[in-house]
Amino acid sequence: MASKETCRTELRSAVRLLSDRGLYSASKWAAEQLMGIEQDPAKHTPSHTRFQRGSSSIRRRFRAAAAGDSSATPSAGVSYVATPSMAGAEDYEYDAIDNDFYLLAKSYFDCREFRRAAHVLRDQTSKKAVFLRCYALYLAGEKRKEEEMIELEGPLGKSDTVNKENVSLERELSALRKNGTIDSFCLYVYGLVLKEKGSENLARTVLVEAVNSYPWNWSAWSELQSLCTTIETLNSLNLNNHWMKDFFLANTYQELRMHNESLSKYEYLQATFSFSNYIQAQIAKAQYNLREFELVEVIFEELLRNDPYRIEDMDMYSNVLYAKECFSALSYLAHRVFLTDKYRPESCCIIGNYYSLKGQHEKSVIYFRRALKLNINYLSAWTLMGHEYVEMKNTSAAVDAYRRAVDINPCDYRAWYGLGQAYEMMGMPFYALHYFKKSVFLQPNDSRLWIAMAQCYETEQLHMLEEAIKCYKRAANCNDREAIALHHLAKLHCKLGHTEEAAFYYKKDLDRMEAEEREGPNMVEALMFLAQHCKTKKRFEEAEVYCTRLLDYTGPEKETAESLLQGIRYEKLDVEHFPP
Amino acid sequence: MAGLLKPPGNFALTPHKVSICILVQVYAPPSELSVPFPFSSVSHHNCLGIFLLSLTKACDSIFEPSLDELIAQLREIGGLLNHWLSDHLTRRLSSLASPDDLFNFFNDLRGILGGSDANVVDDDQIVLDPSSAIGMFVRRCLLAFNVMSFEGVCHLLSNIGTYCKESLSDCPPFELSHLDDSSNDPELEYESMELENFVFEKVSEEFEARKLANERVSFHSHAPGALFELVEDTDFPPSSSVEHIDRPREVSPCAPSTSDTLRGTGPPGGTFLRTNWQVQGYLSEQADAIEKHGSSFPIYAFESILKRLQKSAPELHRVHFLRYLNSLYHDDYPGALENLHRYFDYSAGTEGVEFVPDPSGCSGLGRYEIALLNLGMMHFHLGHPKQSLEVLIEAVRVSQQHSDDTCLAYTLAAICNLLSAIGFSNMTGIIGASYWPVAGIGTSSSIQQQLFVLLRRSLKRAESLKLKRLVASIHLEIAKFDLTHVQRPLLSFGPKASTKLRTCPANICKELWTSYHLISDFTDETSIMTTDGAFCTSWLQNLKKPRGSLVFSQENGIRSDSDIFHFSAQPSSIPGSVLHLLGSSYLVRAAAWETYGSAPLARINALVFATCFSDSSSSADAALAYAKLIQYLAVFKGYKEAFAALKIAEEKFLCVSKSIILLVKLQLLHERALHRGHLKLAQQLCDELGVLASPVTGVDMELKTEASLRHAQTLLAANQYDQAAAVAHSLFCMCYKFNMQVQNATVLLLLAEIHKRSGNAVSGIPYALACLSFCQSFNLDLLKASATLTLAELWLSLGPSHAKKALSLIHGAFPVLLGHGGLELRSRAFITEAKCYLAEPSFSVSEDPEMVLEPLRQASEELQVLEHHELASEAFYLMAIVYDKLGQLNEREDAAASFKKHIIALENPEDKDDPLSNFP
Repeated sequence: MASKETCRTELRSAVRLLSDRGLYSASKWAAEQLMGIEQDPAKHTPSHTRFQRGSSSIRRRFRAAAAGDSSATPSAGVSYVATPSMAGAEDYEYDAIDNDFYLLAKSYFDCREFRRAAHVLRDQTSKKAVFLRCYALYLAGEKRKEEEMIELEGPLGKSDTVNKENVSLERELSALRKNGTIDSFCLYVYGLVLKEKGSENLARTVLVEAVNSYPWNWSAWSELQSLCTTIETLNSLNLNNHWMKDFFLANTYQELRMHNESLSKYEYLQATFSFSNYIQAQIAKAQYNLREFELVEVIFEELLRNDPYRIEDMDMYSNVLYAKECFSALSYLAHRVFLTDKYRPESCCIIGNYYSLKGQHEKSVIYFRRALKLNINYLSAWTLMGHEYVEMKNTSAAVDAYRRAVDINPCDYRAWYGLGQAYEMMGMPFYALHYFKKSVFLQPNDSRLWIAMAQCYETEQLHMLEEAIKCYKRAANCNDREAIALHHLAKLHCKLGHTEEAAFYYKKDLDRMEAEEREGPNMVEALMFLAQHCKTKKRFEEAEVYCTRLLDYTGPEKETAESLLQGIRYEKLDVEHFPP
Repeated sequence: MAGLLKPPGNFALTPHKVSICILVQVYAPPSELSVPFPFSSVSHHNCLGIFLLSLTKACDSIFEPSLDELIAQLREIGGLLNHWLSDHLTRRLSSLASPDDLFNFFNDLRGILGGSDANVVDDDQIVLDPSSAIGMFVRRCLLAFNVMSFEGVCHLLSNIGTYCKESLSDCPPFELSHLDDSSNDPELEYESMELENFVFEKVSEEFEARKLANERVSFHSHAPGALFELVEDTDFPPSSSVEHIDRPREVSPCAPSTSDTLRGTGPPGGTFLRTNWQVQGYLSEQADAIEKHGSSFPIYAFESILKRLQKSAPELHRVHFLRYLNSLYHDDYPGALENLHRYFDYSAGTEGVEFVPDPSGCSGLGRYEIALLNLGMMHFHLGHPKQSLEVLIEAVRVSQQHSDDTCLAYTLAAICNLLSAIGFSNMTGIIGASYWPVAGIGTSSSIQQQLFVLLRRSLKRAESLKLKRLVASIHLEIAKFDLTHVQRPLLSFGPKASTKLRTCPANICKELWTSYHLISDFTDETSIMTTDGAFCTSWLQNLKKPRGSLVFSQENGIRSDSDIFHFSAQPSSIPGSVLHLLGSSYLVRAAAWETYGSAPLARINALVFATCFSDSSSSADAALAYAKLIQYLAVFKGYKEAFAALKIAEEKFLCVSKSIILLVKLQLLHERALHRGHLKLAQQLCDELGVLASPVTGVDMELKTEASLRHAQTLLAANQYDQAAAVAHSLFCMCYKFNMQVQNATVLLLLAEIHKRSGNAVSGIPYALACLSFCQSFNLDLLKASATLTLAELWLSLGPSHAKKALSLIHGAFPVLLGHGGLELRSRAFITEAKCYLAEPSFSVSEDPEMVLEPLRQASEELQVLEHHELASEAFYLMAIVYDKLGQLNEREDAAASFKKHIIALENPEDKDDPLSNFP
C-alpha cells in the first residue's frame, strides 16, 4: 500500500484534473477519499482533527481487532505502481487561444449545454479538448435518449432508444486508439460507448487500459465493475497493482456476493482511509448482506452524524430500521431525506418502507412506484413493491413486480423467494418450488429460504415429507436463528415414525431453548415427547427428569406427566423385582 | 374484429403506413374519372386495390417491410406503371421535409374519403368508402396523426428520412437498426473484433430474406420436417390428439377479443412493428409452425427475431411464450422452464387461450392454473411423466378452486392423454389416493378404469362448456382407448350387467363419427383473423414466385396440391386447427383398421391423411402416415418398392434419432435381413432399434416391446429356441404388467411359433389357442387368421392324421388371409395348404396335381418378390417332390435348381448391390 502522503498528493491532483474535465462524480469520489485519509495531527489545526477523531469513536468500538490486523499486513512482494503525477503537465500544452476555447466550452458544459460545448471544440486537437468534446457529445446523446424514452413510450412498453452519437463517437475513438493518440479519459468514454453498444469484451479491454494508464478515475472503475459479472472475468483482467485496485476489488467482490472477501478488503483499506464515509457505507452494505443488522445500524448512525445530508445507501439503513421495527427512527430518516431531496429513488424507497411498516400498503406502493419512475431499474424497489402487493393479497401484481426484479438481476434471491411465496399463497406449491429452488441456489446459507422450501414440501397438497426433512436439515445447518427447523425436523420424524431421529432433534431443540432461555408450547411438546420416548426405551431416570420438568406447567400436560411418572415407578419396580 | 381493433393509441404511424397512404391516394384520387390517370384499365386499377388490401392485412413478419421491399412488390403488380408508381412513392416520401408537409399530407388524405351519405357523390367519381377495409385503415391513420404530439410528428418525420435513406443507400434494412454501421466501415468492425453482432445480423437477415422469399415452400421442400415429437407414441395409434388437447398452448387467435391483449404496436425504434393484431397473428402463426415442424424449426434464427421483437416491445409478453415453445421443441429443458415461468409471471395467464373475461371479476387474480397446465404438458413432452402428473393434479386443484371450468376440462383431457400414453403400472405409488382428481372411484380400480372414467367425465365437461375442438379430440381419445381395451364392468359389486368381454368396433366407429361431425360444425371458429392475414401474406409472396406453379406442383406431388388449396382458399377457409383434428381422425381410423386387420382400409385412410392433411398437421403425424404407407408397401409389394418409397420419405422428413422414418427404416432392414438370413445384421439392427427407446421404465413402451419382439424373432431364426422363448416370456410379463393386451396376443403367437419350430407342437397349441381367444375379444381379425394358420401348422406337425383338421382350419381362415394378409402370410398359407394335401393319406398327387401345384407356384412367386429364401426354398422343394412324383423331370430340375439357389443364398448371406444395407 502506498503511504498516506502519496495517496493524498495523488488524490489531490486527481480531484483537480477530474473536475477540470467535467468528470464530476469521479472527482467527488476522489475528494471524499482525500478527506478520508487521516490527517497528520502535526500539520493541521486541532479543530480539524478533533472533528475527525470525535466522530469515529463509536465506530472504533465496533471495529474489532481483526481490522487492525489486516491493516497491519500490507501484501508483501507486490510492487505498487505509483504513476508519476500527470497532473499539471498537460495544462501547459495549450497556447492561450486554445485554452480560451476550452474555457468557453467548459463553461457551457458546466451549464449543461453539451452540444454547444462540443461545437466550440470542433476544431481543437489537444487531448483534453478532444476528450471534452467526445464526452459532451456522449452526454448530449444520453440526454436526448432519455427524452426520447419518455416521448416514445408506447402501449407495448418503451422501445429501445439508443444514444445516437455513439456510432460517430465509436468511429472517432477507435481511430484514435489505433494510432495511439488516445488518452486515458478518452479511453473511458470509448469504454462507455462500447458497453452501451453491447461489445462487452472490447469494452472491458478498453476500460482496463483506461484504469491502468490513469487509475484515479473511479467512474472508469465502476464501469469496469459492472462488466465483471463472474469471478472468472474478474480474474482474467490484467490490472496493474495500484491502491485504487483494492477499492475496485472490494466493490466487485461485493457485487459478486463474496461478502467476507469484500469486507476484509475494505477493512484493509480503512487503515489508510480511516475516515472515508464511502468505505464505511460499503462495510455497512457487506454487513447488511451478512445480516449483521445491529452493526449496520451503528455504522449508519455515525455516518449520518458525519454526513447528515447523505442520501446514497440510506435505503439500506431504512431496511435495517424496518427489520428492527424502529418506527420513530425510520420516520425521522424519511423526514430528513424528504427535506434533502425528495426526488431521489432512495428517498421514495425510504418513505415507502415507512408506510409499509405502518401497515399502509397502498401508500407504500405509491412511493415505490415513484422510485421506479425515477429509476426503472431500481432493483430493491421492485422487490419491496412485490412484498407490499403480497401484503395486500394482490398476488398477480406481486408476481409481476418480483419477476421484473429478477429480470433486472437474476441473482436477486429475495425476489425469487417472493415469487415462490406468492405462488404458495395461491395454492400452487409444486409450481412455487421452482422459485424456491432458484433462491436457495443463489443463497444456500440462508436458513429462511430452506425453511420456506421445506414448508412448501410439507403442504398437504404435496406432502413430500422426505424432501421437507432434507430442506430442514440444511436450514438447521446454516445458523437458523429462530430454531424453527429443529422443531419441524423433530415433528416430521415423529410423524414418519422415526422415533430415534425425532428424539435426537427434540433433545437438540430442548437444549437450544434452554440455552436461549425460551419457553413455550414447543418446550412442552419436546419434554412430553422425550418423556414418553425415554419411558418406552426404558431409560427411566431420564424420563423422570423430563416428567418432573413437565410438572411445572399447568394444563393437561401436567396430568399426563403425573400419570407417566406413576407408570414409570411401576415399571421400575417391575424391573427391580424381576430383572430380565 | 375491426371494431375491437379501433381504439386510438393502439396504432402507431410508421413510414410504411405513410407509404400505404400515398398509394391509397394514387388508388383513389379525389374527383377523377372512373379509371384515374395513371391506370390503363379497370382491372389494372383493381389490381392495386387488392394489393393495398393485402398490405393492410398481411402479417408475414412482425417488422414492416422496408421501402425497397415495398417497391419490389409494387413492381410485381404495377406492370407498365411500375416506374411511375415507385417514382411517385419515393418522390412523395422525400418531399416530406418538414412537419408542415406532414400536416398537409394528412389534410389531403382526408379528401379522398367519401361522406357518409352516398347520394351526393357523382357516379363517375371515385371515393373511398370510409367503412371499407382500406377506408378504415386511412381513418385510423388520420386519427393516429391527429392525436399525435409534436414530438411524435418530429419522430415520424425523422423516421421517414431514415426509411428513404435506407432505400437509397441500398444497404440491408436491418443494418441501421444497430449502432455500428459495419457496411460503411468494415475494417473498423474487424478491428474491434466484435463479430457476434455482425453474425447475428447476418443470420437474421438471411432468415428474413428466406422467409420473405418463399416462406411456405422453403419450409416444406427444403427443411425436412419430421421429428418425433411425442416420445411415447412410437407406433399406432398416433400421437396426434395430444396436439389438440394442448390447444391452450397455442396462442389462440381469439386473444385480441380481450382488452388486455389489445395493445397497439410499439413505436418505432429503428425498426417498426406492424399493427398489434398483425403482430399477434404472426406470433400465433409461428407458434403453429413450431408445433408443426418440431425441432427442424430454425431455433437460433427465430430466437434472434424474438430478441429484437422484445427489444422494441418489452411489454409484449407473448414473446416469452414463443421462446418457451422454441426451446421446448428443441428439447432445451432449462430454457423452456425459464421462459414458461417468465411468461406466466408476466401475463398471469390472461393472454391467449380461450380467455373470457369474467364479469364477476375473479379474473383480476390471474389464471395461473393455465401455467400449471402448460408446465404439465411440458414435462409430458420432455418425458417426465411423474412431474407432469404432479403438476397437472395441482392444475386440477387450482382450477377447481378458481372455478375455471375451461381450464379444468383441458387439464383433465391432458391427464387422460398422459395416462393413455404412459400407462403407469401403479398409479397409487405416484399419487396419494386422496389427491386423485376423480375421487369418486375407488383406489383399487385399475389405471384403465380410472382412465375410462376420466375420459367420460372430461367429455361431459367439455360438452357442457361447448369446447368443440376439445370434445372432438376427446372423442378421438375415447376411440383410441376403446381400440385397445376390453370393456369391463365398472362396479365390482352389485348386480352385474352382462358385458361382453371384448372390444366394440361399433363404438369406435361411433366415436370417430361423432368427432368428425363436431369438427365439421365449427361455426364459432375464431381463428379466421389469422387465416385472413396468412392468406394475404401468401398472396403477397406469391407475387414474387414464377408463374409456372403448375409444374412445381407436379414435381412436388402430394404436397403442393394443398398449396393450391391454400391459394384458392377464401378468407373463411377451414382453420388449421380444425384441419389438424380432422387429419388425426383419419390417422385413428387407419390405426383402427390396422388393428382390426383390414389392410386396404387402413391403407386408404393413411393415404387420405397423407394427401389432404399432411400440410395442416404436424410433421410427425405426416411422417407417421408415410411410415405406415411404406410398411404396407413392404408387406404387399416387397422390399424394392418399399425402399424406393423410403428414400422419398427420407428426403422429405428429417431422419434423425427417434424419427418415425428412422424407425421404419430399421424395421424394414431387420425384416429383410431375417428373410435373407443375415442374422448378424438382423441382431445388430434389432439392437439399434432397442437403444432408441428411453431408459426410463414405463416410457417408450411400444418401442421397447417392438425391439424385444424382434429380438425374439431373430433368435428364433437362429434356431436358439430356449433363448427366444425366454425373451418372449419376459416380454409377455412386461406387456402384462403394463396392460398391453394387444401386444400380448402377438407375443403368444410368437411363443406358439417358437414351439412349433422347436418341434414341440403339443406345447405350442395352447399358446395358439390363447392367442386366438385374445384376438377374438379384441377383434383382431388378421392376427386371428394368422394364429389359425399357426394352429393348422401345429396340428399338421402332429402327424398326417391331423391333416384334415389343419386343412379345414386353413380354409376357414383363407378369406381374411388372402384378402388382407401380406405376401409372407399368404405364401405361408399356400405352402401349408399344399403340405396338408400332401400329408393327407387319402389325397393322391397324380390325380389332381394342380391342387398342390397351384398354391405352391403362387407362393414361390410371392416369396421371390419378398426375397424370403427360407420359405421359398421350402416351396420349391415341395414343388420338386410333386414334379418328381408326377414324372415331369424338366420341371423337377427347374424347381430343384431354384431350391438350390435359395438354399445357397440362405446359407451364404452376403451384402450385395444394396445401397441401403450399409447401415449404420
